[in-house]
Amino acid sequence: MTATIALIWDTFREAFARKIFWGFFGCCTALMLFLVFIMRVDVVQGALATVSIFGNSLPSTNVQNLVQQTQGVIAGILYYAGMALAVFASAGLVSAVFEPGRIELLLSKPVSRTHLLLGRYAGNVLVVSANILYLVLGSWIIFGVKTGVWGAGFLLSGLCTIFIFSVLLAVIVLIGVLLDSSAVAIMVTFAIMIVTPILAQKATLERLLSAEWSRDILRALYYALPKIWDVRGITQSLILNKPVESWMPVWSTAIFGAVVLGIGIWRFQKRTY
Amino acid sequence: MTEFAIETEGLTKVFTSRWPKRELRAVDNISIRVPRGCTFGLLGPNGAGKTTFVKMLLSCAHPTAGRAKVFGKDSQDPEARRPIGYLPENHRFPTYMTGWGMLDFYGALSGMSSELRKKRIPELLNVVGLDERAHHLRLGKYSKGMLQRVGLAQALMHSPRLLVLDEPSDGVDPVGRKHIRDVLQGLEQQGVTIFLNSHLLAEVELFCREVAIIQRGKMALSGTVASLTSGSGYRVEAVGVPEQIETELRGKARSFRSSDGTLQLLFATRQEANAAVDLLRGSNCELEALSRTRSTLEEVFMKTIDGPPPLPEFSK
Repeated sequence: MTATIALIWDTFREAFARKIFWGFFGCCTALMLFLVFIMRVDVVQGALATVSIFGNSLPSTNVQNLVQQTQGVIAGILYYAGMALAVFASAGLVSAVFEPGRIELLLSKPVSRTHLLLGRYAGNVLVVSANILYLVLGSWIIFGVKTGVWGAGFLLSGLCTIFIFSVLLAVIVLIGVLLDSSAVAIMVTFAIMIVTPILAQKATLERLLSAEWSRDILRALYYALPKIWDVRGITQSLILNKPVESWMPVWSTAIFGAVVLGIGIWRFQKRTY
Repeated sequence: MTEFAIETEGLTKVFTSRWPKRELRAVDNISIRVPRGCTFGLLGPNGAGKTTFVKMLLSCAHPTAGRAKVFGKDSQDPEARRPIGYLPENHRFPTYMTGWGMLDFYGALSGMSSELRKKRIPELLNVVGLDERAHHLRLGKYSKGMLQRVGLAQALMHSPRLLVLDEPSDGVDPVGRKHIRDVLQGLEQQGVTIFLNSHLLAEVELFCREVAIIQRGKMALSGTVASLTSGSGYRVEAVGVPEQIETELRGKARSFRSSDGTLQLLFATRQEANAAVDLLRGSNCELEALSRTRSTLEEVFMKTIDGPPPLPEFSK
């Protein structure tokens, strides 16, 4: 346990030193300050509200809808823009461990390679989670205080974002172990973030493809790769209190992450440094 | 309980590249036994396989064949690394850490409790000669010598029974080098086994009891420093040597030097030296000196690596 805590805390220290943590923290704080001071919500007659940004009023709307839609926008920004930033920052934190002169010393300690890698992985997930939860929890409280709407869906959306990030981090870890390259890790992860929303339009794409084998490849890719777009849809459903049609995107994405992380650990154990 | 700190049997590491197909035998069938409490030096030219050998001991590299044991435990077992303190050669300590923070981190990885770390860190930083100011200075601000010292402190953090040091005095000034040697001598007296990988042959000769020389991945020579450096020849020095005798002796000696009426001769064997003494005394020459010469570890090393070296003392 001492070693695990040390590995996690070391990741935090490195994130602090690289200003990654503070960069995220600053962005999250700026967004919350915007919600506190710039966006003014006036609840009129209990259920209706007017919202004004920089003093310009928008038409009155149902307060529940207003809060859910705004939370949906924040969750969307967090889901894609925040995730892209997190991937960009985390790639360096992972590959730093494999630097010659540093990895030998870590491996010389009485800690298994699996433990070392998972400790760093967990530390990285926690660095990003701390900021995501700070933003989500902070925004949720601000909305709750301003409007009296306290839906739990927005909180769950934070967990969905952390979940997808942890899957993408597994890809970063695998590339880091295989190639020692944070640049390639970023490229591959961004490629997944770009390709999977396209694959999510499976039904449309299948109609466009004439050959059966090409449709099979499309389906295989769709089911094999993480379903970032579909999980985003689930996140939105949770925020809007709509029923989730299928949890398949979540569990199949979890399997993808577990398999990729497993391969990363296996390769790390076999590697010579 | 095993009597050896390190035991390797036919340890081999072959690096292969798939395309183009190539093989490099970095370590080739090396068997070494380092007794507990011994100070052992591993020598060899650049690229001989020393670092790869050390990495296999620490499980940073996996052997292609053979095995390594540390205090009787297979080196692949993480527990085998618990009694080891290691200072790598080209270390890259995290620059965001302070000296204190670094020892705390690596101490925690070695399984030390928080209380024990708090007690041990200031002690060790003082032992390696880092003043109070350096304790909370980021490693990025440390000089090369300071990094070596804090690296040594890191290796000593969990009171290891085996210390594996790769070029420990690299970048350290002579005063610091002496300081490090004193620290290591203190540890030797406490029974800590010290495995030294160094290019500084004079330092190894001063400090180590046993050495092994590896070349192109193979064991070239091993033994105690005393046995390897003793008895390389016999030196005979005489005055008033007639020209005829001098010419005769020059032909028999491995090397010679003549100056100011003094003839210095170096013979390879005791018999040759005795015969020379008989001849000199028979010619009423005065013997000035008669001694057994001792090789330096550097001479032994050069001889092992390149074959017999030219005699350094005299020219023929």
